[in-house]
Amino acid sequence: MHGPELIIMVVGILGILFIGLPWLVFHYVTRWKSQATITTEDENLLDELHELARRLDERMSTIERIVQADNPNWRAIAGDPVESALEDRSERSFETRRATNRPARRN
Amino acid sequence: MAGLRTKFYLDKRNRKWLGVCAGIADYTGVDVTIIRLAFVLGTVFGSGAPLLAYWIIAWMAPCKPRDQYDSDPDQKRFWQSVRANPRRTARDVRSRFRDIDRRLADVETYVTSANNRLAREIEQLR
Repeated sequence: MHGPELIIMVVGILGILFIGLPWLVFHYVTRWKSQATITTEDENLLDELHELARRLDERMSTIERIVQADNPNWRAIAGDPVESALEDRSERSFETRRATNRPARRN
Repeated sequence: MAGLRTKFYLDKRNRKWLGVCAGIADYTGVDVTIIRLAFVLGTVFGSGAPLLAYWIIAWMAPCKPRDQYDSDPDQKRFWQSVRANPRRTARDVRSRFRDIDRRLADVETYVTSANNRLAREIEQLR
């Protein structure tokens, strides 16, 4: 390698080092910065929502426990679209009781 | 809140040396022993680059603010999931609200229908 070839090689290497590499780095830096990032307000909002969901969840559990204590098969009533009266519910519970008692009486 | 919760910090309270591994574990939720082991094995069997990386991280990263040491593990897990994927965490929170809404609707249906039944009973007794 003599004169011109050496100069071309040195220029090429210097070009890659001082133009190509920074270009690559800044290219990815700008792409990374243009991505949506989370701000302090977003964080506060998310934190508050998380806390709120947790508290509401606890309150809901308390209410469900109270209703459960009041009437153990309330879920069946809540999911029952038929306009049944109070007796229907008691009848149903009587029927189940009778069904469980009958074999005992026969024996 | 003093600083962002989604930034990387050195965890000085659980540190072994400079708190980088503890910081990574706190940031990602990966067990700290695994990260330390990876760093040590990488340094011993590798080129020693992990040691350099450790040093650079320890030099560049800020220390964790004192108010961000969560005592509550639930809170800690929540922020780790936010760092991993904020969008998915937001969707999780939304699904929790929807769940609460559904349960509340159930209780509401029960209470109103029980009231209706009672009213009809009273009406029939007249």
